[in-house]
Amino acid sequence: MLKINLQYDWERFHANYCVNIKPGMTTLLGGSGEGKSTLLHLLGGYLEGRGELYFHEASLLSLPAYERPISTLFQSDNLFPQLTVWQNVAIGVSPSLSLNREQKEKVSWALEKTQLVDKVKRFPQALSGGQAQRVAIARALVRKKPILLLDEPFSALDPALREEMLYLVNEVTDELGLTTLLISHLPQEACLVGGRVILIEQGEVIAHEPVSVLSQPEPHALFSNYLGVGVSSRSTI
Amino acid sequence: MFFRSIKGLLPALLGVGFFLLMGAACLVALLRYSELHAWLGYLQQPYLWRVVRFSLWQALLSSGISLLIAIPVASCLMHRRFYGRGALLQLFSVSMVVPTIVAILGLVVVYGRSGWLSQFLGIQVPLYGLTGILLAHVFFNMPLAVRLLLQGYDLIPAGQWRQATQLGFTRWTAFRWIEWHYMKKVLPGAFVLIFMLCFSSFAVVLSLGGGPKFSTLEVAIYQALRFDFDLNKASFLALLQVMICSLFALLVYRIAPVNRQDVSLLALTRYPLKDSYWARFADGVALLCVFVLVIPPFVAIFGPIFSPLFFETLQSLALWQAVLVSLQIALPAALVSVLLGICFAVLARFCMGRPYLAFLPNKIEHLGNLILMVPGLVIATGLFLALRDVGWGLPSSYWIVVWVNAVMALPFVLRALMPVMYQQERRFRNVYLSLGIQSWSRWRLEWPLVRVNVAQALGYALLLSLGDMGVIALFGSQGLVSLPLYLFQLIGSYRLAEGSCVAVVLILLCLMLFYGSSRFVGGKVGGVNVKN
Repeated sequence: MLKINLQYDWERFHANYCVNIKPGMTTLLGGSGEGKSTLLHLLGGYLEGRGELYFHEASLLSLPAYERPISTLFQSDNLFPQLTVWQNVAIGVSPSLSLNREQKEKVSWALEKTQLVDKVKRFPQALSGGQAQRVAIARALVRKKPILLLDEPFSALDPALREEMLYLVNEVTDELGLTTLLISHLPQEACLVGGRVILIEQGEVIAHEPVSVLSQPEPHALFSNYLGVGVSSRSTI
Repeated sequence: MFFRSIKGLLPALLGVGFFLLMGAACLVALLRYSELHAWLGYLQQPYLWRVVRFSLWQALLSSGISLLIAIPVASCLMHRRFYGRGALLQLFSVSMVVPTIVAILGLVVVYGRSGWLSQFLGIQVPLYGLTGILLAHVFFNMPLAVRLLLQGYDLIPAGQWRQATQLGFTRWTAFRWIEWHYMKKVLPGAFVLIFMLCFSSFAVVLSLGGGPKFSTLEVAIYQALRFDFDLNKASFLALLQVMICSLFALLVYRIAPVNRQDVSLLALTRYPLKDSYWARFADGVALLCVFVLVIPPFVAIFGPIFSPLFFETLQSLALWQAVLVSLQIALPAALVSVLLGICFAVLARFCMGRPYLAFLPNKIEHLGNLILMVPGLVIATGLFLALRDVGWGLPSSYWIVVWVNAVMALPFVLRALMPVMYQQERRFRNVYLSLGIQSWSRWRLEWPLVRVNVAQALGYALLLSLGDMGVIALFGSQGLVSLPLYLFQLIGSYRLAEGSCVAVVLILLCLMLFYGSSRFVGGKVGGVNVKN
């Protein structure tokens, strides 16, 4: 269980996140500038917040980013352009890139899982957007961190590819028992990955419900403002 | 459309055209006074080859040592935030343009026979000879190398640091996998620049060389011009120097990777890396090198300010005449240099957006940097001869000094201007195109974004011209005595104490003008942050 009780202030923006998140998929919904990415950056350790952050009763707040049990996939800049696909994945296991046999097998497993075995010697510039994000997912897999944060990593991909990536994330989350938080602007993505949804407005968690609330004939009271009229029919597409 | 753009380019074309015309006139004049058959004879002189060997050796050592120290220092300054870091960076930007003769004085006070090192620690440094030359070159060029490497760090996308933080990189792994990749792109350029500066070093070798054993090509050219007035030999030596520098630059650029900014959508933020005792130790050693090599000569320069002699020196008429001459040279030279730099930049970015001209921006920039390969003394002599041929003899000396100072500062001006000009072009080209904003209207819009860099360019050009001890040494006896030349004359007549006071005046003048340039051209708070 990920227990969040975090406060963060930046100029006129005051955030106060309070929520407990169970393992599985959770989608963070909310309008632009409402504080979804801020929450992920606080969890990842890229922003300094106040309050409490516990995972399985262990406090994470004082830990630097690299010591937190968290892997984060960002919208961009997930890969090192100067390293090959294999190196980009392996660096998640050992920053010095000196891997033992077991670690190399782990990298191979992740590359197989993400269908990148034939691309290991390529550099990120030679990959498509979907392939590049699969490399980032492969690295998250080898790191074996129990929490996976996805800060709209697939937003630049076309709808079919985005769907493919979401299935992959969903599969990995189930298989490894991860606590995955996905930021999205699209309610249908939340429906696709299932689990629960969190609605964030002005730096606060407004709702934390099963994803089924999005496909109800009548919009859930807390989500109606965000979804607007007629969105329930869109989300069932 | 194309011709309308060309019309807007006219001032820039005229500027660059004038630069080329002056260069060509200088070359033609020199060749007119050359006797090619005598050149073979020079090639057989063992003295010449000794001078060439020593010039290469000291330049290689100086640039190698400067870069070796600069790499860990730049990494430390990039990753650590400590009290005085900003001041140190400011000092670095000033130290590369501190008047050579003043820095030499500072080095003599610290490392000389009766200097601080000898007095307080009993260590004798053989200052006159290779050691002194290396010390002076490292003093000037290590800070320059640090600044160039820090510019290289700017090429690293912020996203890479964020990943490094997430993956728990240590300083060493970050250096190995991220920093070195970008350093490799910057190092060849930095090496060539420093090599050329050291190869064509004049005042340092003249003052600290200690005799003909440690002479360089530049000093040999000076001797040929000043003492023998042997134009033939001077032309030969100058061409030899240009050839060696060109060959060296070609070789290094051929093996150098392309310098390119990787795309990142993330704004620059600081992401801390895993720290360790080893990293702290390495940073400590790097900073110690800086404190030993750069700081003491600076402190020594300001020593005489507390002596009564300083106030006596301030009352000397010759001092204020020299100040006036320095200002009369430095202000127009800096202005011309910045205007020339802007002409180069405007022309280069005009070519950027056009596929059939896309190969030109680098070439245009290199054209401006070519001046580093040509000794200032030779340009001055060529110009003097060319102007004498058209009937302007001695009265042209002042303008020759101004022009040569302006073109010698051009590489530094371009270095300060070009990155921001390219950045503006890349970011806003389409917006300007779609709105039809051109030439002066565009300048008015861009001014708040580029004024900091223009101020920096102007500052560098001012300081370089104020501290010039090359061309002025050639024309000095024509009643044109600038502060550095006045200081050189005082040192030459063993009036060291008075010389130290003049050095303080010169450095204060440099600081005042540099501050004035940053404050009045750069704006109150340093203009708009171009990174945002």
